[in-house]
Amino acid sequence: MQDTQKTKKPIYYGWYVCAATLFIGFVAIGARNSFGVFVVPMSEEFGWSRFTISLAAALGVLVNGLSQPFFGQIFDRTGGRKMMLISIVVLGTATAMLALTFHILFLAFMFGVVVSMAQSGPAPSNTAALMARWFKRRRATAISINSAALSVGGMIMVPFSMFMLQATSWRVTWLALGIIVLCSLPMALVFLRERPEDRGLNPDGDPTPIDGATSTGRYGAAGPLEVETWKDSFKTAPIWQMAGSYFVCGTTTFVMSVHFIPFAMEDRGISGATAATIFGYMMFLNIFGGLGAGLLSDKIGGTKNWLAIAYSVRGIGYLVLLTVDSVLGLWIFATIAGFSWVATPVLTSSLTADVYGTKALGTISGITFMFHQFGGFGSVLLAGLLFDLSGSYTLPFAIVGALLLPAAISAFSIKERKYSSRYQTAVPTLAAGD
Amino acid sequence: MASLFTFILAHQGDSADPELIHWIKERLDQIFGTGPWTVVVVMGLIILAMPIFVTIVYLMQSKRRSADESPDQDGANQDETSQERVP
Repeated sequence: MQDTQKTKKPIYYGWYVCAATLFIGFVAIGARNSFGVFVVPMSEEFGWSRFTISLAAALGVLVNGLSQPFFGQIFDRTGGRKMMLISIVVLGTATAMLALTFHILFLAFMFGVVVSMAQSGPAPSNTAALMARWFKRRRATAISINSAALSVGGMIMVPFSMFMLQATSWRVTWLALGIIVLCSLPMALVFLRERPEDRGLNPDGDPTPIDGATSTGRYGAAGPLEVETWKDSFKTAPIWQMAGSYFVCGTTTFVMSVHFIPFAMEDRGISGATAATIFGYMMFLNIFGGLGAGLLSDKIGGTKNWLAIAYSVRGIGYLVLLTVDSVLGLWIFATIAGFSWVATPVLTSSLTADVYGTKALGTISGITFMFHQFGGFGSVLLAGLLFDLSGSYTLPFAIVGALLLPAAISAFSIKERKYSSRYQTAVPTLAAGD
Repeated sequence: MASLFTFILAHQGDSADPELIHWIKERLDQIFGTGPWTVVVVMGLIILAMPIFVTIVYLMQSKRRSADESPDQDGANQDETSQERVP
């Protein structure tokens, strides 16, 4: 039997779960990202202003951010499989029903509330929590694969929607997107499972520990801060350090998503096409940044150090953006920032699971993700207002860029070796207790 | 305020900027130079290829495992048995 294991080791089932969540996230995020494709044709048909239709999108951002902790709690209590299956059915049906749009209130309710809430089910915070159950040694890698898929989803689903719209109509395109979302249902039904124990496996497909499978840590034991409920986690320092730096992550990424192209055009005087190319290049690099961060964290360790490095690198990018007054500065910024863009969520999710365990991880991740969204929304508004007052993006970019220094310090000061399960060793005599 | 709000959402990362999308579409039109249906079919196949590929790999693995295990197993539980199970 041992020889068979050595010669022909099958693919660990966790990778099938990873592939399923990857595809679900891919279609769910892709369908949502495609909203922009519908803005012009729907506005023209119904005579809506850009502001009016944007309200539905704004409501969606708000509802999606606020519902994350609640979906996280559902994940922790009822399990990821059931929640994601229901979310996919609701998301697919509601997306298809957008084909029936006849009034702005219908769009606001269906997209802004139903679609945005349902999208919180297979959100990265929940898929990361599911990955954390299936993986310990390769946790960050699995989470990073899921994160990278979200970027790819936007890159494939949005062009698909654009050409579908050109070939047919916006109603048919919404219907097609809904059907694609529902196509992820069979994969979810077949492959999604809650925990490796459900299939008689250990995390990572590892053999059972010699002392009788009593340890829960990555290398032997549970961390000292492992919690049963999310409330307990917020009584400790690491969650505030991570949530605080995650807030800054939101401020520094959202502000660029919104204001980078106008900044490049107005402050640096380049064409919209070049600005869009630089931005697209930055988004493309984030796939490699996320994957690289996951691999480095798993292989070398010191997740909080990589997190601090990611924030520091992004800070250097901001510094270059503000000091190099040319197109070259934009390209350098895109290169530096692109690598750190998705690295921070991957590392934060992985570190959260390592410190607090997986029992309340869905809720904890949902709450920290809410911090991220609030930071992002606030920074976008702040940048818009300061631009109106000063006529330049220099001040708002300097403010959010400066926040990256305390974020890096906050991440670096997390006592990972003390609290992370990765660095705990099993004590056989206490195995049955705490 | 209305213009600020519109501006924010028109460039919101959550749903792609319509102007950026229009520009990307023009680029893709230049690259492919074919009708929209061609791109729709190609993209659709790419999207559907992922679950099909994963399912095929899973079935192949299951078949191989069951073939490997048939001499010393009763075949009642064919999946994942060559990875160590929790007692």
